[in-house]
Amino acid sequence: MKKEITYTAAFEELQAIVNEIEEGEISVDELSEKVKRAALLIKICKDKLSTTEENVEEILKELEGEEPI
Amino acid sequence: MAEIINDKQVFSLLEVTNSIRKTINDRYGSSFWIKAEMNKLNHYSHSGHCYPDLVEKQDGKVIAEMRATLWRPDFERINAQFQKILKEPLKDGIKILFLARINYDPKYGISLSIQDIDPSFTLGDLEKEKQLSIQKLREEGIFDQNKTLSLPLLPQRIAIISVETSKGYADFLKVIEGNQWNYKFFHLLFPSLLQGDKAPMAITGQLKQIRKVKHHFDMVAIIRGGGGDIGLACYNDFELAKEIATFPLPVLTGIGHATNETVSEMIAYSNQITPTKLAEYLIQKFHDFSVPVQRAEEKIVYRARRLLSDKNLSLRNQVKYFKSLTENILSYNKTRLAQLPKMLAKDIDGQLNRHSIYLNQSIEQIERNSDQLLKDQKQLLQSLEKNIEIMSPQNVLKRGFSITLVNGKSVRSTDELKSGQELETHLFEGKVISTIESIQKSKEE
Repeated sequence: MKKEITYTAAFEELQAIVNEIEEGEISVDELSEKVKRAALLIKICKDKLSTTEENVEEILKELEGEEPI
Repeated sequence: MAEIINDKQVFSLLEVTNSIRKTINDRYGSSFWIKAEMNKLNHYSHSGHCYPDLVEKQDGKVIAEMRATLWRPDFERINAQFQKILKEPLKDGIKILFLARINYDPKYGISLSIQDIDPSFTLGDLEKEKQLSIQKLREEGIFDQNKTLSLPLLPQRIAIISVETSKGYADFLKVIEGNQWNYKFFHLLFPSLLQGDKAPMAITGQLKQIRKVKHHFDMVAIIRGGGGDIGLACYNDFELAKEIATFPLPVLTGIGHATNETVSEMIAYSNQITPTKLAEYLIQKFHDFSVPVQRAEEKIVYRARRLLSDKNLSLRNQVKYFKSLTENILSYNKTRLAQLPKMLAKDIDGQLNRHSIYLNQSIEQIERNSDQLLKDQKQLLQSLEKNIEIMSPQNVLKRGFSITLVNGKSVRSTDELKSGQELETHLFEGKVISTIESIQKSKEE
């Protein structure tokens, strides 16, 4: 949600590209563009698998301060 | 025996209590089965004895109450039975069917001396309570509510309700922290009691805490393990089940080895038998994400290469085809070109032949025609010759005409002549020489 593409959207788009390329719907003209896009999507997905941005301190602060943010 | 004091028959307290005891013993000599709710077990761990508070309620109000005793050996035996059959210990708040004698003690008063408790009655009652919880959840339409939520593709941020020292918690962390695929989870522990009568309230309290910070989490995991499968009936508690069912995040449970699924487990988004299984379930979710991504990468690389090589090949084939095609056309034309002179020669030969034949025919025709012509001409000539012969001077002379010459020239008119000139007259046979004597001019006009 912070990123431009969520990993879920990236995952779905990646699947769509795989389907397209498997169905042979991608022409040589589009290939370079699609492969570039796929590489970006794969990176977003892989990054998500191995990182999280949550912060314990922040959660504890929210729990102590009664006011919901 | 009674004394008489001031005309009154007076008993000592012991006499009274002894009398009561005698009466009771006479009246209630044998044991009998009683059903009641065990409000409090009152187990004293030091002595091992229990002094349960038994009540009967009607519309939530206590309408009968008695104390009871359960001596250590009986308690241990019955408790073991309960754990075996109910997967629950003897505890507060359960309904029991028990065999007891009414006992009266001068010092402690009246009580029920429990000799045995039938676990199947309690089991039935617990089951009834459980069914009641299920029924209420269904009636409120929230039984499946938590299941309708969706877990993100990567359930990465986990609010854990457990106990720090629990083996289940350690098992769970071991799997998600030490995974070999470098999957990263974020988790925060919300410590809580996990079994017994106080557990529902404790867990519900932590769920309410998590609600406040729910945007930081993808799911809640209730984890318990290592404590055997005793004391899980608390997860049938209606209030706890309701809190789980209506929780805004998926709640996943891994609370024990219960053969009999509790209500909380039933209504949870997903229930796994053990904390380890729950952790593996989450790892599997990561696999379900990671593997297709990995495959996608391989497939795209493979397909892209393949597409390029296919196109390349087809291009090469096109070139080859084009080349062979042009070569064919070239060689065809070359051959044709090479054959052309021959063909031309043949053609010319033919033409020549034809023309030659034609010529020959023409010549023949001409020859034929000219013979005729000659013949005709000859005839004409012959007839002319005849005419000429007829006209020839010899013939003219023969017919009696003669030619007169002067000075070797034929004379046609007297104008050419002078008197005295010598004339030479040719006849058919011979000639005459004569001299002009006079000239007579022919009359003119």
